[in-house]
Amino acid sequence: MMGNKVAVVTFPGSNCDHDTVWALEQLDAEVVVVRHDARDLPACERVVLPGGFSYGDYLRAGALAAHAPIMDAVGRAVEREAVSVLGICNGFQILCERGILPGALWSNTSGEFVCRWEWVEVASPPAGWPEFSTGMRFRLPVAHGQGAFRVQEDGLAQIWAQGGPFLRYVDPTTSRSTGYSPNGSVDGIAGISRGRVIGLMPHPERAMHSVFGSVDGRRFLRMWLGGP
Amino acid sequence: MMTAQDVGLTEEEAVYVRELVGREPSDLEWGLFGVLWSEHCSYKSSRTRLRWLPKEGAAVVAGPGGNAGVVRLDDAVEVAFKVESHNHPSFVEPVQGAATGVGGIIRDVVAMGARPIALMDSLRFGSRSTAIREGVVRGIGDYGNAIGVPTVGGEVFYGPGYAKNPLVNVLCVGLRRPGREIGAGGARPGEDVYLIGQATGRDGIHGASLLASRDFSQADQDLRPTVQVGDPYTGKLLMEATLAALATGRVSALQDLGAAGLASASSELAVRSGVGLALDLDHVPCREARMTAYEIMLSETQERMLLVLDAVHGEEALAAIRSWGLVPKKIGTTTADGQYVLTLQGKRVAVLEAQWLVDGCPLKPAPAPRVAPPPVGTGSPPEPVSPQALVAMLADPDLRSREPIYRRYDSMIQTRTVWGPEHEVAVLRLKESPGGLAISVAGPGRWAAVDAYSGGAGAVALAVARLAVQAVQPLGLTDGLNAGNPDQPETLTAFSQMILGIRDAALALGVPVTGGNVSFHNETDAVAIWPTPIIGAVGRHPRPDRPWADVVTQAGMRIVLINPPTRPELGGSVWERRAGRLTAYPRVGLDRLRRTVGWLRQALLNDALGIEAVRAVAEGGLWLTLVKLLGLGGPGGAGIAVTLADEMLAERLLNEVVGQFVLTVDENHWPEVMAELSALQIDSSVLGRTVAEDGLGLTVGSGSEAFTWHWARGELLAAWSAWEGA
Repeated sequence: MMGNKVAVVTFPGSNCDHDTVWALEQLDAEVVVVRHDARDLPACERVVLPGGFSYGDYLRAGALAAHAPIMDAVGRAVEREAVSVLGICNGFQILCERGILPGALWSNTSGEFVCRWEWVEVASPPAGWPEFSTGMRFRLPVAHGQGAFRVQEDGLAQIWAQGGPFLRYVDPTTSRSTGYSPNGSVDGIAGISRGRVIGLMPHPERAMHSVFGSVDGRRFLRMWLGGP
Repeated sequence: MMTAQDVGLTEEEAVYVRELVGREPSDLEWGLFGVLWSEHCSYKSSRTRLRWLPKEGAAVVAGPGGNAGVVRLDDAVEVAFKVESHNHPSFVEPVQGAATGVGGIIRDVVAMGARPIALMDSLRFGSRSTAIREGVVRGIGDYGNAIGVPTVGGEVFYGPGYAKNPLVNVLCVGLRRPGREIGAGGARPGEDVYLIGQATGRDGIHGASLLASRDFSQADQDLRPTVQVGDPYTGKLLMEATLAALATGRVSALQDLGAAGLASASSELAVRSGVGLALDLDHVPCREARMTAYEIMLSETQERMLLVLDAVHGEEALAAIRSWGLVPKKIGTTTADGQYVLTLQGKRVAVLEAQWLVDGCPLKPAPAPRVAPPPVGTGSPPEPVSPQALVAMLADPDLRSREPIYRRYDSMIQTRTVWGPEHEVAVLRLKESPGGLAISVAGPGRWAAVDAYSGGAGAVALAVARLAVQAVQPLGLTDGLNAGNPDQPETLTAFSQMILGIRDAALALGVPVTGGNVSFHNETDAVAIWPTPIIGAVGRHPRPDRPWADVVTQAGMRIVLINPPTRPELGGSVWERRAGRLTAYPRVGLDRLRRTVGWLRQALLNDALGIEAVRAVAEGGLWLTLVKLLGLGGPGGAGIAVTLADEMLAERLLNEVVGQFVLTVDENHWPEVMAELSALQIDSSVLGRTVAEDGLGLTVGSGSEAFTWHWARGELLAAWSAWEGA
């Protein structure tokens, strides 16, 4: 099993960083917070890009953060396959803007921010995480204004050719993941992966206790950390 | 040359200014007096009346007068909280007006050294003001979501007077550790004054003195440029930088810049600290070249904070601020001579005493605090009740589901929200303490429309009742008082009555008012709002991980109504308004309510009594309470079957008098519950049971005359969730 030192990156405007650190620490991960202007990552096995409105979401969500100094370091580490990266919400947007993950997150088709509970289903487990088995479901909250996943047609074809996206939204009325989304995502895609990099719009760090409505975030993060 | 009238002062006030200063003030000095003596800044019509409110309480750490009230939750946590209005800007420019309202109250809480952890908003619109409503909701979301403070609840009501006078009152709650008292009062002579945040621009000049201090007419669309523009990104950096600076312990005093900008913040800080102030305006970072001293002092550019730093160790605080990417600028020093001196290009452009600006404005004297008798002829004849009319009522704008609004707000960020906006009271779990925090907000203007005293008392009663259903004792209240033009005698009389209602309820229920906000001049084209008291309440939740249910969970429980109505009291109710009338809201039985909430707080903690779910009756009466008790948000744990007498059916089902509570109680224990209530001389009656058959059944009358109406869950849900135009 890999070590569990996790770097959580804080950009100016990140606002889920505290929640993410708190969630990971509950799972006994060793967390170190890294600033946006750091040139290097500390010695760590994992990196989390948390949610928020980095740099005020100016230009496009994640567009400016994608060029922060720390992202050069993250990019290099990803190329060397030296770390696992998890981008949550704004973190997912940053990974797409950086080109580490394919596609982009557009404004929700409703034109409105949406905060609500959703079910997501594993359509295709990320490489290296057999624990995430196909069909596994998680109840997690979404909270975003720009969460409509879009990707060019060949990119989408490629995602499906490789087994499908990591996570898709589950339609609350039919209980099936056949393209429903709360935001207008193509094929109902809630999260994707490439190599050891994962991005998702829902917030696992907010589903750590039954009192908050679900413990599925705890389960999700524990599996991401390599636990059972 | 500027005249007193140019800056909104009356002739009498101008004479008084000349007397104070002892010479003809300069244009800049007139401007300072104009803005600080405006209704919005001086509270000249309200201050003498606000003194009627009780402000002492065992838990009070900081009472009214500061940026926010502070109460002690327990040994580990203090709670700073206040409601503030941004009504006028939200009419002129809904998105920015509402956004800067959120930003402003967040800064107030930060200025008490507390980290903001929750927002609630009370909104009022005209029933057809869809564009204003949508803009306001967007503005609140844009700011709150981005700065990362969850919106955990709120309320929305409609009325004709709000069509051109929308109300946007925002409550912010923050936490700080005990022993971290900070505010505008800690500066000593010889310290450095710093300004941080946005560069000062020409936006919002006269926003407070003109926009919020006079009535509107159709011609006022030209006031749009006086609305400030919010930037939640800078707001977030400013919040973090300020909290980081405070953590160094090197900040002596701080004051956020809101209405009347630097003029208000600097003079307020000088007066509270009892120091003089010398500001060099050349050092104020400006967005535009050649801004005049007048513009610099009166600009209401958002996201700015004034800090006074220890002259020796201030560098530690400055480093903390810089780490957040902000550039602190020293703009002056505190002095021992008590003078308020502004300098521009080496020239002294204003030499005053800060006291004149902050406390010098002549106040309207208050009358003797006399409660007016309730209006006669109240209690309107009831409309006949039909099952169709009851269902149709669920879609009323004042009662229907608020989900289309609150789903646009992040209610979960900061991971404390156990109960969010889908409930009538917010329950937060604290990482800082084993105890939790409960927050409620209440204030239907309808209740104050005819009898402002009743409305004021009713708002306090409801805020307290909503905490009581979670066994929570309120530690303090904050009041957002909204009214029309205070120069109209009847408006001011109603305002006084509203305060007296709040006073009497607060005294009866043993809870202090620790701060709040007054917004007058909610009057456009001579149409004023109903006097509207918005009351926020906070208290310590004894078991935040297990809130008491507000929906039925299983069949076989008894449904008990506490304090069933004994008189025909439909005044101020939605049912009455739907029939095209509005009479006075009844006077709440405050002593009875005090005994009831006192009993509830200990009875809920006594597991042996078998109380499962509990709700306070309010708008929509017992009818909406039962519908909500069914749990429309989920699949439902059981159905409800109740029986009511035929006589006074409408009055029983639809009156909105606070003091009524609905409980579901274990089959074996309900007689015990009723005996306890009876021993305290609190009336109660068994309404019915929770049943296996889903839906809501209402049997009217008894014996052979009885008949039963039954509604399926889906039918009720469909009506309640109907939402036009969103």
